[in-house]
Amino acid sequence: MKSVRLWFKKSGLAIYISHLDMNRCMTRAVRRAGIPLWYTEGFNPHPYMTFLMPLPLGQTGLREPLDIRIEDDMSFDEIKSRLNSAMPEGIEIVDVCEPVKKPNEIAAAEYEIETVFLSEGEAEGFAAGASSVIEGGVLNAEKRSKRGIKTVNLCEMVRSFECEADGCSVRIRTILAAGNTVNLNAELLMNSLFAEFAAEPEKTSVNRTKLLCNDLSVFE
Amino acid sequence: MYPRQIEKFLPKVQKPGRYTGGELNSVVKDKSKVDIRYAFCFPDTYEIGMSHLGMKILYGLVNAREDAWCERVFAPWVDMEQVMRENGIPLYALESGDALTEFDILGFTMQYELSYTNVLNMLDLAGIPVRSRDRKELTPIVVAGGTCVCNGEPMAEFFDITLPGDGEEVTNELIDLLKEYKAKGASKQEFLEAAAQIKGVYVPSLYEVEYNDDCTVKSVTPTCGAPEKIEKRNVADLDSMYSPETFVVPFLEVVHDRTTVEIFRGCIRGCRFCQAGFLNRPIREKSPETVEKQCRAICDSTGYDEISLCSLSTSDYKGLEKLIRNMLPWTVEEKINIALPSLRADNFPKELMEQLNAVRRSGLTFAPEAGTQRLRDVINKNITENEVLSTARQAFSGGWTAVKLYFMIGLPTETEEDIQGIADLAQAVVDEYYKNENKPKGKSVAVNISVASLVPKPFTPFQWEPQDKPEVLIDKQNYLISCVKTRKVSVSRHVPWTSFLEGVFSRGDRRLADVIETAWRKGCRFDGWEEHLDREKWMQSFEECGIDPFFYTARKREYDEVLPWDHMDYGVTKSFLVRENQKAHKGETTACCREKCAGCGASKLNGGVCDEIRQTVV
Repeated sequence: MKSVRLWFKKSGLAIYISHLDMNRCMTRAVRRAGIPLWYTEGFNPHPYMTFLMPLPLGQTGLREPLDIRIEDDMSFDEIKSRLNSAMPEGIEIVDVCEPVKKPNEIAAAEYEIETVFLSEGEAEGFAAGASSVIEGGVLNAEKRSKRGIKTVNLCEMVRSFECEADGCSVRIRTILAAGNTVNLNAELLMNSLFAEFAAEPEKTSVNRTKLLCNDLSVFE
Repeated sequence: MYPRQIEKFLPKVQKPGRYTGGELNSVVKDKSKVDIRYAFCFPDTYEIGMSHLGMKILYGLVNAREDAWCERVFAPWVDMEQVMRENGIPLYALESGDALTEFDILGFTMQYELSYTNVLNMLDLAGIPVRSRDRKELTPIVVAGGTCVCNGEPMAEFFDITLPGDGEEVTNELIDLLKEYKAKGASKQEFLEAAAQIKGVYVPSLYEVEYNDDCTVKSVTPTCGAPEKIEKRNVADLDSMYSPETFVVPFLEVVHDRTTVEIFRGCIRGCRFCQAGFLNRPIREKSPETVEKQCRAICDSTGYDEISLCSLSTSDYKGLEKLIRNMLPWTVEEKINIALPSLRADNFPKELMEQLNAVRRSGLTFAPEAGTQRLRDVINKNITENEVLSTARQAFSGGWTAVKLYFMIGLPTETEEDIQGIADLAQAVVDEYYKNENKPKGKSVAVNISVASLVPKPFTPFQWEPQDKPEVLIDKQNYLISCVKTRKVSVSRHVPWTSFLEGVFSRGDRRLADVIETAWRKGCRFDGWEEHLDREKWMQSFEECGIDPFFYTARKREYDEVLPWDHMDYGVTKSFLVRENQKAHKGETTACCREKCAGCGASKLNGGVCDEIRQTVV
């Protein structure tokens, strides 16, 4: 038995696959690819497969990690090419490696977000407003957790935030807390900012570019 | 690929994966290179439609042709419908994202009467007139197949064509004909008249229906050279019949998400309430070799880890043991689970059963259908209490602790004693558990009784029988619950109002078209979903159209009454059904086809051959 870390890109149509559905989708892809998956032992054997940092529905992920266990040895190149020939549209394996860091070392994620408004004025106004709110350090929002709904200050979970208007669009590059203990969904941040300025954008696309450790080094 | 204008709404609806397409193995073609575009329309949600084997068969079959492209369309859920209506987005097919108006054939599959309003809603969402006569152009032609079209009369005003029987051959013939008529610029009427000449094609608009003063049908007269009787299509050889070797693999979790391969068509049992058992005669089997080959191909191309061998009564498949023995080695190796729905455990080798359960253990269900032997004889469910108990005993000794029992209420000749019998049988199963010496310590047994209500259906021996009114069924359900004395037995029941509507439409006639359209305009859709069935709106619609719904359900019909579906020919003769009805009332059973041919008449569809009698009637 051997642990393997797969890195995949999820984009296009595939962003509408929910996390639960991803699980099934990847299991089948691995089966179609003929990769010798290791199954758990017990009454209901199932393949060992863990998404380290589930990607919310509707967001693009450029480099998302998935750990699997395989029974026999198979080269990383072979795994990658077999999987890519079995993947549905929108999901691509970009890298296969040995797990380097432990899943609980994930502490942050970097995002590129684009929001499109109907006019340039709205875009400029929102960009200026959003930057000043984050700089000001207070943006309260209700966050659902297992212990119920509580109000939290989202700014405490924002590690960096750059925002600029470009025509009718606003482009944001930001690093947000991610992981098991503190986690901020980029969608929640954006919706809270929209609510703050009563902004009604046409469309927002969220792209998670990479996962980071606490010292902001890249998670591998 | 969905239309671009829908993208910004996708994050706002439930399960956007229903509307995006792009699943593995979905077929995308160049539309400029095909002659016929076929939209396979399933009048319910994506999750239900994607579980339907018929769709997978026809999708593969049409797409195997170079000159045609088949795409999938499902009924959008209410939240998506609202988005589409508010933003003027027409209903589109998942592969191309093109609106239904760009298609040549819209093929609906009608599995369930309560999806009728969804058909109207889907046409309307695409901006297509719902009534056949208001669609003047040749295309799109609106076609329907599936179980419900054995009595297509309530929907006769809406469909241009219905296809009773097996769809594999007739679909190709219809496509060929439309291609020819489209090329020569023919009118819709010319095409319909020509189509009516194909065996197994029913063009409702070519038939005139007259009624008696008491609203029963007086006569059905064909016009324009259409045949007097429409004989259902029957595929003779399942081994050479088209069967898909790959399935579209959904991202969403759908109801049945697995490899499904049919092992035979028809049923030898002759249970008198069961419409499928009569509509699909004669028996035709697929060889174990073909089944295995198809299972393997689908598993390889989809990555599914479960296979369901599908038929009306799995244990009656002659090649079952051989098939399972051949399949076990590779399925166990690849961790693939084999599911055998409707298996009778009593005549299946125990050792094979154990091996089957080695991968993943499934639930245990029995369908005694009625609580007493007398009533089981009336419905010809040839299963005894002893058989139920001995199977339960076997299961409990094998470690099972939960059992599901299926029953029906509202059966002809039913009395309180029969309902009491349901509770008694469940109790006997509970007792069987405690007789087992090796039962797991500290574990209780759970027996779940599921009670459905009988809906008498066309082409069954009960087609003349009155259906219990909803209030009566509720009383019977309550009586059953009062008879259950232990918490080890739980009862799940259905809302009898769905059975009531189902009853109206299954034995309805053309006068119901206005009711269906009225109810749909009032907002009725997804009537098969309890939370959506709006009883008030339906009752208002009946009243506004001057139709008494109980005329269709609560009335006992005479043998000599002209039934609205009498011009359809499913092979099974009316005299056979009369005989079976009379025997039911006398509590006499009919042996299964394997023991003795009951002379149902269906073998004539197959050139006199039935895989059970294997003889040619000259």
